[in-house]
Amino acid sequence: MFPGSLMLGANERLLPPSVPYRFFAAAVVFHIAAWAVLVAAGPDEVAGFVGGAGPVLAALHLITLGTLAMTALGAAIQLLPVATRRPLGPVWACRLMFWLYAPGVAVLAAGFAVMVPWMQHLGGTLTVLGLAVFVWLVAANLRQVSDLPGMTRHAWLALAALVLLAALGLALVVDFTTGFLGGFLPDHAAVAAAHAVLAGYGFMGMLALGFSYVLIPMFVLGSAVPDAVGRRTALVSGLALVLGAGGAVLGLGWLAAAGAVIGLAAVAVYLRGMAATLKTRMKKRLEPFFRLVWLAWAMLPASLLAALAPALGAPLDPWATLWGFLLVFGWLLSFVTAILQRIMPFLASMHSSALGGKPALLSHLAPRRPVDIHFGCHLAALALIAAAILGGGSWPMRLGLYVGLAGSVSFGVFAVLVLRRYRSHMKAAVAANHKG
Amino acid sequence: MPSNHCDTSEGGGPPEWLTLALEVPPLDVRPILADGTDPYATVMASADGVILGGSLVIDAPFNPSPLRRVMAGRGFSSYGRKLAEGHWRVFFHLDGGTDWESGAEVEVLPEGAMIWREEDGIHIDVRKLPPPDPLRAIIRLIESLKGAETVVVHHEREPHFLAPELAERGWRIARMASEVVNVRLWLERES
Repeated sequence: MFPGSLMLGANERLLPPSVPYRFFAAAVVFHIAAWAVLVAAGPDEVAGFVGGAGPVLAALHLITLGTLAMTALGAAIQLLPVATRRPLGPVWACRLMFWLYAPGVAVLAAGFAVMVPWMQHLGGTLTVLGLAVFVWLVAANLRQVSDLPGMTRHAWLALAALVLLAALGLALVVDFTTGFLGGFLPDHAAVAAAHAVLAGYGFMGMLALGFSYVLIPMFVLGSAVPDAVGRRTALVSGLALVLGAGGAVLGLGWLAAAGAVIGLAAVAVYLRGMAATLKTRMKKRLEPFFRLVWLAWAMLPASLLAALAPALGAPLDPWATLWGFLLVFGWLLSFVTAILQRIMPFLASMHSSALGGKPALLSHLAPRRPVDIHFGCHLAALALIAAAILGGGSWPMRLGLYVGLAGSVSFGVFAVLVLRRYRSHMKAAVAANHKG
Repeated sequence: MPSNHCDTSEGGGPPEWLTLALEVPPLDVRPILADGTDPYATVMASADGVILGGSLVIDAPFNPSPLRRVMAGRGFSSYGRKLAEGHWRVFFHLDGGTDWESGAEVEVLPEGAMIWREEDGIHIDVRKLPPPDPLRAIIRLIESLKGAETVVVHHEREPHFLAPELAERGWRIARMASEVVNVRLWLERES
């Protein structure tokens, strides 16, 4: 009796749990692998990194593609159809996406680490093919949606950024091995910077903002974020992205700086919207995952402020290194691990009543100690590595890398425990069904 | 029960305009719903033909709270009555929509969800609320209940995110029934 209410049925919207969980499990594994590769690379290589193939670039892509984007893919295919109430596409396409993307990321990162061109080409191609399936699935879903402009505009911007960054990424990979790029584009570093802007603030950043408007109110039981806020942040952050990426690729520092300043304005609007939701929340005591959200929200504007320095002519070492670190490990890794920490037990609880029994309690599924250790390690790693990038010194960097690795292992323990508790709950449910 | 607005018109009797509305033959949307078709377009087409001061009467299988909200936005006051199990009659009057909850026997939660009592428990209608307001309204209601009352939720889709939150609070979805635009869930306290 109400417009738009005849939509798909519930069973069509919920994927089998193995589909999103394979993405989350891979994200957790790549997270550990990234820190391990950084530890193996050593503090000197990490501290002065401003681009170029090698183990640090491999670790960077293990985090960006392996952890951040992998989580985004898994969360999007599960949550997007539930949020938009429109079908996503066939489950086989989600599985195909994973089997193209996950091996692609592994081969690409290995190719960067050992500097083998064919591995870079193969890994890059598989990764882009996996992302192409993602773009097809999500675009097909978003095309049917007209009633969630706040969220969908960010998702469209994310897809547009993904297409551009994938094209630039492939060009960069080919440039490593053939050097053809210098002839018609400004330079490799400029294209790499635009690729990083599109990846960090474009694809991942836009998805993070769009999903924030759905997930944060739901997790804290806060009021819905008005669509006007989402429309405004999509407009302002989209403009910032165009200026930032355009300034980077054209080598126009003032243009990139203007993008960073407008990006700060978008962040202000976004955080005000989030603050309004938090103010009305019914869960007065925020759950442990929210510590990482606070940290991410502090790191997002910090990364934009740090971006101003290299854009306005400060030396790339340490300023570009610091900017990249705050963007990837400060803002995005904090936010994504926060979401993973909340969503893994939440989805497990959601699926745990599939056999008709009592759902597993969130509080039982999510062990506390591993996430406390992860948070402490993650925070310490951020502080130590940022200090080492700015102030030099080998020991804080070395310590920061080891602490980061310890945190990622602890997060892995958390993920294993969630899945084990979910499986034991399901086994008990099966046994109870047999008895009944 | 929490409430930011409690309808009082029941005590004061039906609205004056009801006399005029009683003359209007009802549009029965129950057969349309039974065919699996959304009657929204039919209702809106009928509403388009109503002039200022005129009325429209709808027979529905449930209290169509979201429709009443939509019609209020178009300037219609409404007055509803449950005539029998599965049969509600709602009178709409085009007067600017100043009195749209009249006679609905409902309370309105801060999120805009409507609650009312029937023999089988407390009903809450969360249809057409933006997420996560349906979840918030349901949680707000069950947290306010002391006894072992059943809560009947009227939703427009299966709320996947509800079960984990209910379980944390010692509640469960006892059963569920899906009709066109009305997914009903019976919530009970864990025994």
